[in-house]
Amino acid sequence: MPDVYAPLQIKEGELIMDADRMVLNAYDASAVEEALVLKEKHGGEVEVVCIGPAKASETIRKALAMGADKATHIIASGDEEYDSASYAKILSAFFKDKEYDVIGLGKQSQDTDSGLTGSMVAEHLSLPYTTNAVGLEVENGNLVVKRQGDSGQEMIELPTPCAVTCSNDMNDPRIPNLKGIMASKRKPIDQVEISSLGIDETELQADTKVTSYEEKPARQAGKKYEGEAEEVAREVAQLLDTEANVL
Amino acid sequence: MSTILTYIAISDGKLKRSSLEVLSHCKSLADAAGASCEAVVIDANASSFIEGIQKYGASKVHVVEDPIFKNHMNTPLLKALSKVMSSINPSVFAFASTEGTKDVLGALAANQNAAVIADVASFKLIDGGVTAKRPVMAAKIMNNTEAKSDKVLVSVRSGSYDLNESPESAEVVNIDFSMDDSEMKSTLREIISASGDTIDLNEAEAIVAAGRGVKDEDGKALISELASVLKAGIGASRALTESGVYDPSLQIGQTGKVVSPQLYIAVGISGAIQHVAGMANSKVIVAINKDPDAPIFEVADYGIVGDLYKVLPPFIEEIKKIKS
Repeated sequence: MPDVYAPLQIKEGELIMDADRMVLNAYDASAVEEALVLKEKHGGEVEVVCIGPAKASETIRKALAMGADKATHIIASGDEEYDSASYAKILSAFFKDKEYDVIGLGKQSQDTDSGLTGSMVAEHLSLPYTTNAVGLEVENGNLVVKRQGDSGQEMIELPTPCAVTCSNDMNDPRIPNLKGIMASKRKPIDQVEISSLGIDETELQADTKVTSYEEKPARQAGKKYEGEAEEVAREVAQLLDTEANVL
Repeated sequence: MSTILTYIAISDGKLKRSSLEVLSHCKSLADAAGASCEAVVIDANASSFIEGIQKYGASKVHVVEDPIFKNHMNTPLLKALSKVMSSINPSVFAFASTEGTKDVLGALAANQNAAVIADVASFKLIDGGVTAKRPVMAAKIMNNTEAKSDKVLVSVRSGSYDLNESPESAEVVNIDFSMDDSEMKSTLREIISASGDTIDLNEAEAIVAAGRGVKDEDGKALISELASVLKAGIGASRALTESGVYDPSLQIGQTGKVVSPQLYIAVGISGAIQHVAGMANSKVIVAINKDPDAPIFEVADYGIVGDLYKVLPPFIEEIKKIKS
């Protein structure tokens, strides 16, 4: 995905990013990290899958440098107008005849924050799943997920194969070291064309479309009160009552 | 006549205010479009909430009542929502964007082949669908997203709309539901309830949020006292939930909860963009920070530059006086 912290501007409703760099989505990085931790504890293999234009290969190399064993790059031109549903259909078509224990995904992407693709993939593949995971364990061959719910943390046990979307509160993704970076250059990246996945192109047409971008209505900074703590504290408390009317 | 359906979420035995906000908005959309405004409630005690829902203008309340809905689990919820959609066939199905909703929204859209726009700040009807405004790019900007479909799902951030009572004597429709154990795809082992009787941040009228400046038990005690005086919920910045000072469920920000209370008091919070993304829609923001250049002051209506340990005691005392 594009780097959300790179400078950006809006011209006549269009989003213009100054930097053309792609980065690994922070939530996806947490999913990769957690997969690596599970592999270290229980063995197995970590494979990463990415849909993106040619330049996304840098992002894939980062996951390999963190320690993933191999990768698949599903090539998109970058000009398609895909939405979450389109990506979910592509991923589901890719996973359909694959063997895996767990599909780990970021709970959302940092640029659009939609958070839809994970549960869409699970539904297409009829997989048990859960979202917003903050902890993962393997017990008796099942995945035990701690998820952050509305009013507490839910411990959910899922048989494999299953899907889980990861929060970035789960871990601190490792920074690849030099050895990892060198090793990543020798790891295989399979390139796959979307057209080879057996999906009808019309099925990928998005039902939703971004029509324009705009600035957020700016919030005006109010007044700053500096001075003797006791005095300003009392003054602001009074204003909350008499002026803002929120007490 | 087309139907605009609102999902009414129940949490800890209470109607979620955020879903009533969505219902209030759907009522006005339905009135303007000549559509039918209906609601659905899915809970172990669903029928006990009918009265509370009628107040906000639903002309029909669909009720799915089954003990299995005592706690949130995505398999039964998804099955019930799919059944509701198939039988009511709404043109728009609107949700409050809770963690429960986020857990099933994509799957429901895939199951029903519906278009979906998640986590919007506002939405309205257009010819052939819905258009919505969404904060994107770390909530720095907004986009306009259109969904063209005869079935559109939309989830709305809490606090986006005001509650608006317009009582209707709604027709109540019970929807049969049953689920076999063998259909359960996962098992809920336990719920670690961190909140106990604390106030749900998405529902709170006032929130006191603690940041890195809150360094010790004395600081936490001041936060608790201020919250108690204001009957406010307690939130925290990511720094304090990551270091374990506060429970992760209390994190406010882009990756935690997005809140919009009437009053938000940020104590010792610098105001990183990720935090501001989670609270900038609050009605009145107060910031207390000793760094006069802290970015939190750029969004605060009232900024107090000072040491929170010196500011909070007289601040609390003064509010107590006003309240008494």
